[in-house]
Amino acid sequence: MKVIQRVIRVVLLALFLVLSLGPLYWVIVTSLKGGQEIYTFPIRYWPSQVTFENYQYLFRISDFSTYFQNSLKVSLAASAGALLISLFSGYALSRIRRRKPKMVLLLVMYFTQIIPTYMLMSPLFISLAKIGMTDSLMAITVVYVSTMIAFSTIMAKSFFDRIPEALEEAALIDGCNRTQTIFKVIFPLSLPGLAAIFSFAFVNIWNELFLAVMLLSSNHNMTVPVALNSFISKAGVNWGVLSAGIVVALLPTMVVFAFAQKYIILGLTEGGVKE
Amino acid sequence: MRQRSGRYFFLIMIPALVLLALFIYYPIIEGTLIGFQRYTLFDMSNTPFIGFDNFRAIFSDINFSFAQILLNTLVWVAVSLLFQFVLGFVLALLMQKPFRGRGIYSSLVFYPWALSGFAIGLVWAWIFNGQFGLANDVLLRLGLASSPIGFLSDPRYAMISVIIANIWYGIPFFAIMLLAALQSVPSQLMEAGKIDGAGPVRRLFSITIPYIKPTIVSTLLLRTMWIMNFPDIIYAMTGGGPANSTNILAMQMINKILKFYDYGQGSAFGIVIMVLLFTYAVVFLRLTSDKEETV
Repeated sequence: MKVIQRVIRVVLLALFLVLSLGPLYWVIVTSLKGGQEIYTFPIRYWPSQVTFENYQYLFRISDFSTYFQNSLKVSLAASAGALLISLFSGYALSRIRRRKPKMVLLLVMYFTQIIPTYMLMSPLFISLAKIGMTDSLMAITVVYVSTMIAFSTIMAKSFFDRIPEALEEAALIDGCNRTQTIFKVIFPLSLPGLAAIFSFAFVNIWNELFLAVMLLSSNHNMTVPVALNSFISKAGVNWGVLSAGIVVALLPTMVVFAFAQKYIILGLTEGGVKE
Repeated sequence: MRQRSGRYFFLIMIPALVLLALFIYYPIIEGTLIGFQRYTLFDMSNTPFIGFDNFRAIFSDINFSFAQILLNTLVWVAVSLLFQFVLGFVLALLMQKPFRGRGIYSSLVFYPWALSGFAIGLVWAWIFNGQFGLANDVLLRLGLASSPIGFLSDPRYAMISVIIANIWYGIPFFAIMLLAALQSVPSQLMEAGKIDGAGPVRRLFSITIPYIKPTIVSTLLLRTMWIMNFPDIIYAMTGGGPANSTNILAMQMINKILKFYDYGQGSAFGIVIMVLLFTYAVVFLRLTSDKEETV
């Protein structure tokens, strides 16, 4: 009986593993196949000849390295911005004692969580167009910071709530001012939480499609999702090159997840309201 | 002292509040107004208020039936949610007891959480390709189909296909949340159950599930909102087609904006979605706060 249970458990765990890795395996294999082999049926589950021509093509015919750098710059800058700002707002929300202002501020944060980002597409486009700030990586970075602020603040608050105030009071008595206290006492104690906030923001921003499609138009400003989108809108999808593009697009968040999984899970379960 | 620190707290919240006001709250208000204006990309300087015309237009559009889009949204949310939850729960239960390599295993099954929904949609579009797709190959090899199926071009299969992709994408989220909850169940409780002679199934339903019920309820309810507002996979796989068979509210709003450049009607969709979301959120808060009182 015990043995059968164990066998079932192992089989199911293996099944989940295969199903979870299958699509990733498949897109990687497709990206490594040569021109005609992609369009043969029945399918070959391993390329008859592994080739990197799709990747060469990707980086030669399109400005994929530019798109990649754009995505990287915007995601890093916006995550860092969201982290820095939410460090302060989260701390304030955690330490404010008066009930009413605290409730109002919390509501201001939580309310934004039911607003999906694609809601902002046309109003942001219209407002930014009026001041000539569409098609600007700078503007979209600020927009991304804003879309991540509320969630980051809520997460930061929940981490700071667990740091006893006595620690700060000791630092204040020792002559630190409030800001120094945040950097010298709070910051070091909540590093895992800050890592969670940063990786969360990074993943979300790297993956964001609709605002980017709406706000970025010229080729040299495209981020990776916008570029992939333009690949499929052009007539005749080249699945080999597209697969290579997808693999490159997936890599960074997979790397972040591999390294920060512990923190991301911490963030999801502790601060989690939205994904 | 307290007075002064109160002012300090408000001061350091200013950057967050200013950004939220400028880039979240103001656009939402602006978007609401646009819903009552004639507003298209082609005539952006002439945007008169036209009352409820945009709403009338989307309720009686000849290109799609609003009722069908509502129904699609319901099916998309309900079926995705059910399978994401059940399979995520099974995975969490399987991973509850430690085993060698669990850390690496969890990275390998949880990673889809971090991926772009749009890119994943493209991957599944390729898997479900009507001519050279992996899904067709598997079905043909197993003898379950006699000729390739046009999963994404046949209205009968398109919704099932996008939902399967969405289920795959959403399992890790539930597994992560439920695994964390499972690990908070005190082992003494389980031991007591064992001593009382409860088998594993009995223990699951009378000890584990009641104990983690708050997590189950809140993740299910929050996830409902999230799936309703997740058009990325559909956008990548079908764009709402064929014949509107996968068109959900969020997808149609995006089509109005990106394909028809009609911001007025797009915003009208946005308002409908916001009203639904808001009603849902209120019900959700009622439900969860009642739960806390009774526990």
